[in-house]
Amino acid sequence: MNISTGDLARIVSILLIILVGFLFAPRFATFENIRVILLSVAGLGIVTYGMTVVVISGEIDLSVAGTAALAGIVGALVIDTNSTFLVVGLTLATGAAIGFANGFLSTVFGIPSLIVTLAMLQILRSLASIVSNGQAFHPDSLVGFLWLGRGILFGIPISVITLILITIAMILFTRRTVYSRRLYATGGGIRAAHLSGVNTVRVKITAFVICGVTASLAGIFESARLSYIEPGAYVGMELEALAATVLGGAALAGGSGSIQGALLATLIIGLMQNLLNQLGVNFYLQQVVTALVILAVVLPGIRKRDIAK
Amino acid sequence: MTELSRRSLLKASGCALAAATSPLIFNQTAQAQEKGVHEIINDLIRKYATEAKDGFSNESVAALYEKDGFADFLADYPIGDLAGGYKWEIGAGAEFTGQYSKLPIKAPFTDYIPLPEGQVLNPEKKYRIGFAFHGFNHPWLVALADTGAWEALRHSNIEIEVIDCEYDDNKMTQIIDNWIAQEFDGITLWPLREAPMTPVVERAADAGIPIVTIDRRTLTPKVSSEIVGNFYANGLQEGLYLKHVLQGGNMILNRKSLGGTADAIRTGSFFQAIGNVPGFNIIGNYHDDSDRARAFRNTADALQAFDNIAISFNTGGEEALAALDAMREAKRLYTGPDGKKIVILSNDEPHELMEELREGNIDMTAPYTPFLGDLAVRLVILHIGAKEGLNEAPDKLIMTPNLPMITKEPMVIEGIQTLTSDQWPYPYGPKTG
Repeated sequence: MNISTGDLARIVSILLIILVGFLFAPRFATFENIRVILLSVAGLGIVTYGMTVVVISGEIDLSVAGTAALAGIVGALVIDTNSTFLVVGLTLATGAAIGFANGFLSTVFGIPSLIVTLAMLQILRSLASIVSNGQAFHPDSLVGFLWLGRGILFGIPISVITLILITIAMILFTRRTVYSRRLYATGGGIRAAHLSGVNTVRVKITAFVICGVTASLAGIFESARLSYIEPGAYVGMELEALAATVLGGAALAGGSGSIQGALLATLIIGLMQNLLNQLGVNFYLQQVVTALVILAVVLPGIRKRDIAK
Repeated sequence: MTELSRRSLLKASGCALAAATSPLIFNQTAQAQEKGVHEIINDLIRKYATEAKDGFSNESVAALYEKDGFADFLADYPIGDLAGGYKWEIGAGAEFTGQYSKLPIKAPFTDYIPLPEGQVLNPEKKYRIGFAFHGFNHPWLVALADTGAWEALRHSNIEIEVIDCEYDDNKMTQIIDNWIAQEFDGITLWPLREAPMTPVVERAADAGIPIVTIDRRTLTPKVSSEIVGNFYANGLQEGLYLKHVLQGGNMILNRKSLGGTADAIRTGSFFQAIGNVPGFNIIGNYHDDSDRARAFRNTADALQAFDNIAISFNTGGEEALAALDAMREAKRLYTGPDGKKIVILSNDEPHELMEELREGNIDMTAPYTPFLGDLAVRLVILHIGAKEGLNEAPDKLIMTPNLPMITKEPMVIEGIQTLTSDQWPYPYGPKTG
């Protein structure tokens, strides 16, 4: 397996953060802390994979926070059935439907996805408040649902196991399938892909559906962990996922990006946030430092692309 | 034969302790009965504020108090008597179903500056009132709107327009400007931030429209009335409780947005209460911008960074519940000194938090009721009446009653008789599963 320069930069960044943590935060490099970091980034990682697929296709999805919020609320409407299957199924189905709507509006009607998904973010957030009467749901009696966020299998949290499984599945999906070739072709040059017989509309709608499902899945893990499904949750999720996507090597112009890059980027963000918290760095300064690290890691890749052009 | 369980022994020893200390409790309770809880807490606020002027002996507290400029925030926060000599008592208020939340509500202050049901002011006239706030997605804020709508619905010649400004100061400004242009009779608002809303409040006042702020303030004297909450009482009671149950320990702080009124006044007054107890040591100081997931992550990270946490101070209920969940996940709830439970201090009183308090997982909360919208609507109606020469104008500064802290068991702390979850009839939000 070849490691790209970008991935190498991300791996070096991770090692550097771990080194700093090892030197300055005595309890940073412990198994328990690694577990905490992985738990913290599981949701972000999953939604970043969806965002990465959309960005590879040459589009953007700014509605992920609204998708996670509304899908969670719709799923919560059937909490009283005490059926985890129904709650999770309805949540994922809502996420998929929202993704389809995003894809349909931006491809069939030709409205830029930036505008469609920005509008959707607003619509979905408002719908989440209307449907829930502004109230949160407490899935305390839904043992299976809570297990998704709090359960442990062979000593590993369920959400982390899910992240690993989804990572493997998404890597295979974006490397070994016919769809993946069409995805990169569409993002790399939509006209050329279209002339080559690729149904670019279908490719893009599929990418949005994947993103919608991952956003709702991330919401499930987050709300199961907190045992709290609220209409106002996930504020800033779209920017965090987009930052991880770009940090992971995806170009906003489309045609490039990878799941392993997205995973490494997610880990960088999780490690950074944990380390800065452990070092007692001010919350607001943390955001500045995290943004600077993203810029520092992304910059060489952008310069390389410019030179290639 | 009577079985001697650990619980029965504890109960018996508790009774013996209560009997031994009963004169003390009696005196303190008697004091509590002579003065209302509002006055008792105000006296304590004044006492600790005066002491704070001499500085704190606790260096850890003094350093953060100085760094975050709490003295300036606290000096500007009004403390005073209730309007018209009102005395609030537990159990006061009305019960109804929230217009927006669809939840059963018992609102505590419906008889504070009351208005009789039915038509008000000039019965021949319809009055339009605008109610601008933020957050149809937050239980506390929906409850605020619920009470505003409830009061308006009691008066058939009052029309209320309730608008969610979605945490956007510009949107709130535009909406209020629109109401000014439409010549609404009165306006109430829950401003998110003080400074940005000041110009539009002045424009409303200049246009002769009575305007009342709820809970948070603006920076203009032109506002008709300001309803001031009890942030000061919140933080102070967290501190009083803490030094009642502990004389020291390492502490992590889970705080809302830096510079916000809720964070500054609650944290600042908490520091005033504990600033001269040398044993407390702040080892972690986090902000979460009222994001429960972020508060959870902060506590989860703090639990990894420190293995000797005794106290979790939280400026809001969301923070406290997130801290509790993080401790549960890390199996660290009972890892305080000598294997005792980490003391969790909170504010706010949603049903979810009251349940945790009942079970002893959260140690105390200082209530901050969202049921204030009705009072705002009554005030704006009275200001409209004053403008029309029908009644006297209400006071400019309307203090809301200081509410006593809620603890698992009833306690008397510096003259404050605490209440239990079961004694508190005013929780908000949905009940837990």
